Amino acid sequence: MSLLLVIFDLVLLAGIIGVAWRCLASTDLFRAVVLFITFGLLLALAWVRLEAPDIALAEAAIGAGITGALLLVTLERLRSIMAERHSGRPHTPPPDPSGPHALLRALHDPPPERHSFFPALIFALVVGSLLVTALWHQPQSTGLEPVVDAHMDVSGVDHPITAVLLNFRAYDTFLELAIVLIALLGAWSLGRHDLIPARPAPGPILPGTLRLLVPVAIVTGVYVLWAGSHAPGGAFQAGAILGAAGILLVLARPRQLPMAPGIPLRLGITAGVALFLLVGLYGLGAGHGFLGYADAWAYPLIILIEVAATLSIALTLVALFVAGRPAGDDA
Amino acid sequence: MIANTLTVILVLAGLVFFAAGTAGLLRFPDVYSRLHALTKADNVGLGLVILGLMFQAGGPADILKLILIWVLVLAAGTTAAHMVAQRTWTHGEFESDR
Repeated sequence: MSLLLVIFDLVLLAGIIGVAWRCLASTDLFRAVVLFITFGLLLALAWVRLEAPDIALAEAAIGAGITGALLLVTLERLRSIMAERHSGRPHTPPPDPSGPHALLRALHDPPPERHSFFPALIFALVVGSLLVTALWHQPQSTGLEPVVDAHMDVSGVDHPITAVLLNFRAYDTFLELAIVLIALLGAWSLGRHDLIPARPAPGPILPGTLRLLVPVAIVTGVYVLWAGSHAPGGAFQAGAILGAAGILLVLARPRQLPMAPGIPLRLGITAGVALFLLVGLYGLGAGHGFLGYADAWAYPLIILIEVAATLSIALTLVALFVAGRPAGDDA
Repeated sequence: MIANTLTVILVLAGLVFFAAGTAGLLRFPDVYSRLHALTKADNVGLGLVILGLMFQAGGPADILKLILIWVLVLAAGTTAAHMVAQRTWTHGEFESDR
């Protein structure tokens, strides 16, 4: 049995490396995209073998599924742009009923809808019964809960989720913040400067509501941030609330908002990651390990990181929505 | 016991409004009547659910938070419905797929 598994693992490994190599080496972009999707599915299998089914699901859905679809759509756009450049006229995909274009067209225009009730009913029943079974067979294991509970007194905070996120597994949270920052850098590096066009809201309703909602959103955001130390809450939720308020402001009256100056905006956006890194390095120097805190300092340091992270997340969400670099800083 | 019964009854009543609103959103022919269906879910449905949950609240602070959630959803939903209706009034309905 175990010999079979070893052989399976070896074949899987060889497959992953081989597919990755073929994907990178392929000169045909469509083939590369298909190989990338295959790579994602094999990787999901590898996660299953590592007994991490959650990550396998995420890899299959995000890595293979959504990213694959995005790449296919990008490829089709790229092709029509290239064809336009070559021929000087808008490109129409060839009426080829089979082959790769059929899949691409299927992605763009769903087939004509047939109003049948039964597929939807069967689907709902299957998904519903799956969910009920999942609820029924809740695993009895308590997981890592006892471990977390046993160490709550050294975590510096009173809420187990915050303790895990910002103390026990601070490394994960640090990387999450870094990914949010990298997403924004990616959006900025596309080099767009055009902001959302000004669309003056018709009538007084929207500005009036904003005048009511934005202060409430700010108070709620700060409350959720503060509550994070002893109740559900924290930097990501608070940042999302503040970011939503900012996006509403940008949407409703873009003309009256002053453009954010470049340097302070960049400082604010990087504050979360930078401060987290500084604290982590200090912990390394002081002998607590990277991202470790002295017990007495845990609470103030966590609050400090959470405040900076909230600011960064809120600013990043708004900046991602606006999607353009601040005007006039091409330096 | 009475509180639990009231909660179950009120939340279920709220869910009926949500189901009706969803059915209306899916089945009604034009934007205005769909909005009309949606407001039932937002206002009455959520109101009933919130009212039901109040019987489970730990204290006055929790009750106030629940009321605040309802008021905020009312304000936001009303504004969104107004803007959708206004856009439809000035620009016409979006190209329908029917």
